[in-house]
Amino acid sequence: MKIKFNNRDPVYVQVIRHFKEQMATGVIEPGQEIPSRRELANQLKINPNTAQRAYKEMEEEGLIFTEGNLPSRMTTDEKVFQAVRSELILEAVDAFVNAVRTINVPLDEVLPIIEQKYKKECNE
Amino acid sequence: MIELKNVTKKFGKKQVLKGVSFTAEKGKITCLIGINGVGKTTIMKAIMALTPIDSGEILINGETLNKGSYEKVTFIPDAITMLPSMKISEAFTFMADFYNSWNMERAKELLNFFNLNETDRISELSKGNTAKVNLILGLALDVDYILMDEPFSGIDIFSREQIADVFTSHLIEDRGVIITTHEINDIEHLIDKAVLLDNGVILKEFDTEEIRETEGKSVVDVMREVYRG
Repeated sequence: MKIKFNNRDPVYVQVIRHFKEQMATGVIEPGQEIPSRRELANQLKINPNTAQRAYKEMEEEGLIFTEGNLPSRMTTDEKVFQAVRSELILEAVDAFVNAVRTINVPLDEVLPIIEQKYKKECNE
Repeated sequence: MIELKNVTKKFGKKQVLKGVSFTAEKGKITCLIGINGVGKTTIMKAIMALTPIDSGEILINGETLNKGSYEKVTFIPDAITMLPSMKISEAFTFMADFYNSWNMERAKELLNFFNLNETDRISELSKGNTAKVNLILGLALDVDYILMDEPFSGIDIFSREQIADVFTSHLIEDRGVIITTHEINDIEHLIDKAVLLDNGVILKEFDTEEIRETEGKSVVDVMREVYRG
């Protein structure tokens, strides 16, 4: 597990994003045990304080939970996983729509291009 | 916490530190950034009382530096201070003789981590490996604070990565670290706090995650503003 971090977004935000992507793509499953704060810091080559911050936010968002002294786990709530997936899709579409709108392209011109590109990318 | 309050220092006529104040907390990595000759090393030596300051105050956990402080703070200079003819194991014994806080188990663990051999002579090590041994001599002390002077300079990329790995491990965890560097790129993601220094004054002191969060700026962006703006 290695993330290429950008320098301008908070690292903890990028770590959470990484987890969300893994949730959306099924790499991580509901109820799965996650690395300890220290292990995560080591795996991602980040400051342990940053790992701590990411987990704290994720806990508040209900993505992960900790029971007593046991290792933290992903939430078992499938709905949360679906919500994360929807969130990521919407985010990507928003970004796309914004980019396309600035160059004034009508929807019916864009749609076939998307379809074509998408098929091509998926075949490669 | 290490606190510097309005520290000044002159070498002859040259005013090297012109009222430097900043803090470095335990459990955080604080990075002193500045080009060569702005006073980074002088600040570290001042904290360790290796060079007397002209005015101002330096506190470690609220106390001024005393004999006992050397069991709480350690300084890793940019070049190794052991005799070149020593074997690594002999350098370890030397440290054990001098410091109560020397942790031989940790030293061995670090030796393993860096793939070094304790029967090797310091004079026969490559530059990168010498730097790693130098680092071990500081990291294997059970102290609250570690000051590192340019741990990455003149070292190959893989050794740099290995050294950076130390910062994400339990070897550093919960301790306070002050590190100086003029090349921030390798460690931008690792540091908690940056202190920008120029000409003996602190230009800016900031929390790196906070500046990304509130202003969307990288450490290098802030440096560009501060030094060029």
